[in-house]
Amino acid sequence: MPQIKHHISGIEYWRSLEQLSGSAKVQEWVDTEFPGYDPEELVGTTRRSFMKLMGASLALAGLTLSGCRRWPKEEVIPCASSPKDRVPGIPERYATVMELGGIGIGLLVSCFDGRPIKIEGNPDHPFANTSPGFGAADAFAQASVLEMYDPDRSRAPVDRTKGSDARSTWDAFTTAIDALFPSDGAGVAILSEATGGPSAMEMKKLLLKKFGQAKWYEYEPLSCDNEYAGAKLAFGKSLRPLLKLEKASVIVSLDADLLGVHPAHLRHAADWASGRRSSDEGRMSRMYIAESCFSITGTVADERLGLRPSRFNAIALGLAEKLGVEGVAAGHLSADEARFVEQAAGDLKANAGKGIIAVGSHLPAELHALAHAMNARISSFGQTLEMLELPELDRPTHAESIAALTNEMSSGQVKTLLILGGNPVYDAPADLEFGKALSGVTGIHLSVYQNETSRACKWHLPRSHYLEAWGDARAFDGTVTVAQPMIEPLFGGKSVIELLAILADEKVNTGGAIVRRTAGAILSGADKDLSFRRALHDGLISGTMAPLFKGTPRSVALPASVETKSFEIRFQPDSGMLDGRFANSGWLQEMPDPLTKLTWDNAALFSKKDADGLGVSTGDMVRLTVDGRSLVLAAYLLPGQPVGVIGLPLGYGRSAAGKVGNNLGFNTYRLRTTKAMSSATVEVHKTGGTYKLAMTQDHHLMDEVGKAAIRERVGEKGRSGAILREASFKDYRTNPKGALPGEPRSIRLPLFDPPARLDETHAWGMAIDMNLCIGCNACIVACQAENNIPVVGKEEVANSREMHWIRVDRYFKGTADDVNPQVIFQPMMCVHCENAPCEEVCPVAATVHDTEGLNTMVYNRCIGTRYCSNNCPYKVRTFNYFDYHSKSPRQKGATPWLGLPDAQQKQAVDPIKQMLFNPDVTVRMRGVMEKCTYCVQRIHAVTINVRNEHAEGKRDNVHVNDGDIVTACQQTCPTQAIVFGDLNDPTARVTKLHRHPRAYSILDEELSTKPRTRHMAKLRNPVERGPATEAAVLEKEHK
Amino acid sequence: MWCVLVFEMLVVDPIQAEKKFAFPRWANYLLPLSVLGVLGGGLYVSVLMAFGLSPKTTDVGYMPEQPVPFSHAMHAGQLGMDCRYCHGTVERASFAALPSAQTCMNCHTSIKPQSTALVPIRESWKNGDPVEWIKVHDLPDHAYFNHSAHVNHGVGCVSCHGRIDQMDLVRQTQPLSMAWCLGCHREPEKYLRPQDEITNMSWKPKGDGVQLGLALKKNLEVQSSAYMTSCSTCHR
Repeated sequence: MPQIKHHISGIEYWRSLEQLSGSAKVQEWVDTEFPGYDPEELVGTTRRSFMKLMGASLALAGLTLSGCRRWPKEEVIPCASSPKDRVPGIPERYATVMELGGIGIGLLVSCFDGRPIKIEGNPDHPFANTSPGFGAADAFAQASVLEMYDPDRSRAPVDRTKGSDARSTWDAFTTAIDALFPSDGAGVAILSEATGGPSAMEMKKLLLKKFGQAKWYEYEPLSCDNEYAGAKLAFGKSLRPLLKLEKASVIVSLDADLLGVHPAHLRHAADWASGRRSSDEGRMSRMYIAESCFSITGTVADERLGLRPSRFNAIALGLAEKLGVEGVAAGHLSADEARFVEQAAGDLKANAGKGIIAVGSHLPAELHALAHAMNARISSFGQTLEMLELPELDRPTHAESIAALTNEMSSGQVKTLLILGGNPVYDAPADLEFGKALSGVTGIHLSVYQNETSRACKWHLPRSHYLEAWGDARAFDGTVTVAQPMIEPLFGGKSVIELLAILADEKVNTGGAIVRRTAGAILSGADKDLSFRRALHDGLISGTMAPLFKGTPRSVALPASVETKSFEIRFQPDSGMLDGRFANSGWLQEMPDPLTKLTWDNAALFSKKDADGLGVSTGDMVRLTVDGRSLVLAAYLLPGQPVGVIGLPLGYGRSAAGKVGNNLGFNTYRLRTTKAMSSATVEVHKTGGTYKLAMTQDHHLMDEVGKAAIRERVGEKGRSGAILREASFKDYRTNPKGALPGEPRSIRLPLFDPPARLDETHAWGMAIDMNLCIGCNACIVACQAENNIPVVGKEEVANSREMHWIRVDRYFKGTADDVNPQVIFQPMMCVHCENAPCEEVCPVAATVHDTEGLNTMVYNRCIGTRYCSNNCPYKVRTFNYFDYHSKSPRQKGATPWLGLPDAQQKQAVDPIKQMLFNPDVTVRMRGVMEKCTYCVQRIHAVTINVRNEHAEGKRDNVHVNDGDIVTACQQTCPTQAIVFGDLNDPTARVTKLHRHPRAYSILDEELSTKPRTRHMAKLRNPVERGPATEAAVLEKEHK
Repeated sequence: MWCVLVFEMLVVDPIQAEKKFAFPRWANYLLPLSVLGVLGGGLYVSVLMAFGLSPKTTDVGYMPEQPVPFSHAMHAGQLGMDCRYCHGTVERASFAALPSAQTCMNCHTSIKPQSTALVPIRESWKNGDPVEWIKVHDLPDHAYFNHSAHVNHGVGCVSCHGRIDQMDLVRQTQPLSMAWCLGCHREPEKYLRPQDEITNMSWKPKGDGVQLGLALKKNLEVQSSAYMTSCSTCHR
């Protein structure tokens, strides 16, 4: 299609640099509906044996399938004695807590027949609640249920003194305790993950009391210690800043990924969204960010400046000087930096009491201290910023702690090391050589997996998953949160508090009793049992938030930036692996990174300018050398990556993660040392090798034929296309219609009459606000968990066969050389067209409409022609090429199932994995097309219940209240960008949003598909550029 | 005729074989035979498809042996126990849950406490291991039948389960095929009954059942047939 090629050059929005440059490879993605499709691959062998196999299976089908037989016998197994209020088929929901990096995340878990299958945020929890009744959970928390059902989990204690993998028992370990732990605790050290749980604190106290000389250390590879240290410099106390973004109209972030990896990111996202949603009332917050990576916070910032890590002192000093902080002198700033500082300072000064300056947790303590002085200057304290007083923050930093421990281990002072969770052999700073030090001591590792650290220890003990154990934690603001187990430990593990109780020889050593005792000391009220049950129900003990600190920050000197001309690396948490702990989670491996859209790998992120200078392109191998340590890894060209900075996502290159996560990507911890925990200068060399990366950015490119035709009519640039729309807040406020031209109504003569009414009783519809979407991927995992969506593996992703029903398309805007391209995230799933192109081409009517406007997919009718996918302009249909549920994602191809089809799920899928399936959604195997159903199972659960209540006389009508039906993606969206409801209800939120001036239907004007999902245009709120600045910009461009 | 054919095939005259080849006489029968074969085969396949493979043949009458020979005829029939005493969730949930051993023992601690037939129940009650009943009315996994949606909207137990109150051992009396389900989903008025007769196994409409059904359909706001024949109503 040469005419399309012509149009691709100079497009306004693009998914990848390759697409922008009109690469033949991307054209192939567009032209070939099913790239990489090769029937021979189906059996991994020749055409001839394929025919033989097909013949054999047909014959078998003829013999067995064709009936004269009932399907396999099934049992109904009632409880011996039914638990109170349990109704088979109706999920029970319990509040619980997941501790991540020492901070408790409030969750609500749905359990079917005692099996936890879906994790959502706890609506009662202050850091998960997004709007009344809604609780968000991030991708990590949601995917943790897959971790619980991971067949690779450790199943028994291992005693390596008896052989390399000698299985042992808990009893054997308890008898060995006396030999391992001398009664005075001399030579004993304990290395713990960060934890703030009151029970864990209590058990730590008891253990250290029993073993008087034992020493306690704490380590997390990603830590907020610099924040606490900064507060100590400024206020004399280790404090945790609590940001109130909903009150902020100007947010200035210095390398702080507030909406991405910050421990309170869900709260931040919800609060930030309220400042964007108010655009309809004529107010909209503005976010400035200076950052040394490209974070999702950076993508939604109105003013963004990419910086080297070494420049942050300079920027902070410049900002402080402009804000009038005493005793600060700005050094030299580049033109871009000066402009950024001037604009941010001007805005902050104009919005005193409504501004906030946030600093990335990896930046130096002095910079945090200076930010406190600046925040005091702009009257943030008490308004947009509070300081939380948490006594447990006053401890040696994690980096100091692990260094001290390693030192003592190497010098022989430590004989026995008990490691509680974590994986220091993998993620401790490389210069410490923790693994080597560990080989000289008796290590005991309590862990969910037998990971790298377990393998270097003499003893490994299986840890119960947090969903299997009693526990407690402290939320970001210190609120005590209580966790109850959802299920008995699958593999007989023990939790940290249980192990500590055994070691401390405590009588009270069951998790439940320990937590009850600790809570008893915290709970108030006369009836402690009642208030404990209340706390279990709510998942938290209300009124236990940490006290707020009031004080004036001292001024602290911040050294000027050290100039460097060489490249700098910046370690960043991975969007899916975080610090590497989630490496064996297929859901998170396959979840595309929000910006790079990489799956199953990490890569060194280069800016285009740097890459061009080095002659490197995406997939080329480069050697990075830091202080004599070097690492060879694949390069990735990320538009918007700050020039001079090489981003290194952590968390890959695991050697003992499990069958899913072993040996994927590159272990960037090898370059991370105690001196360079966040950044360092680096030498870069191209090695000449290449590496295959599986990224989804050019997959499912939406209808290029249609887009090209639109471009023909509405021009190439400067105007919003049909797929994406955006406007500046200023233009939108003054003239909403003009800023966002309405859809040109072409003649709409449907070819076919609808087969039935599409709005009987209800007319389901959805609105997706691209102004609120931050690309956090929580919806992808929510959908995957809710709808039994399989993981396909890297090879299959590379063939564009990922099966996510919802994808978050990331579009860049700008030129290829733009250092700061703009980004729009567009969540895209089946839009449930009323004139659905897919339905017209299905030869077996496997995709048809129901009377409420759902475009339904009938799996049992589907014969896998894939015509529907071919004809779908939105490219939202996915096809199950292999039995992804039963095969390992690391295995290429699959052996076809030759047994009875109705026995396949029971026999071919791992029984532990089967426990995770949502029983309300059909589990699809090979050869079936699938796509978003608007969570039809959730619709029916509510409508049936409403109608039952009506029939029983408990209701006057069968009206479904707006907000009673919530799709999985909507439920978990931290910014509430997705709204679902009944378009027949004029008061429903979705109906109002459909009529909103920003709402538009993608590709509708061209194809008249009449989608039921309408997207809402993005607004940006950049600083108004004065004529002088504009002239300067033009001048710069001419140079 | 067959004998002639076989004879002619086996006994080939050597002199005849020398001659120019001609189709033997029996070949004349090939055409009518093959027509007959195709017609007969077609008929056979159609009959097989229509009757042999139909759920009416394969599923109706299915009566597996259960771990305990529980008699519905005794409990629901003679004793007149309400269905919902044991199947308590039928009005609230998609499953009409089977009773726990505890429910059985509510009565059987005093009635027939020594019965050998009840050993599995008593064992289960004592040690907590569940009794594994065999599912009789078993729909395919992609069909999401909801009991509560039916019993709250005028569909009686007997419509799908037959005269359970007369069965010693439960057997399937209806095909439970998709066509059978759709029969009712297309014309619910023919099968609806008043809400207080749901569990009554012997209820028959007194006057015009269809008139009553139409009235019930309106009162209970039963969904339209178009809705009820939409795929998403039963398949998810």
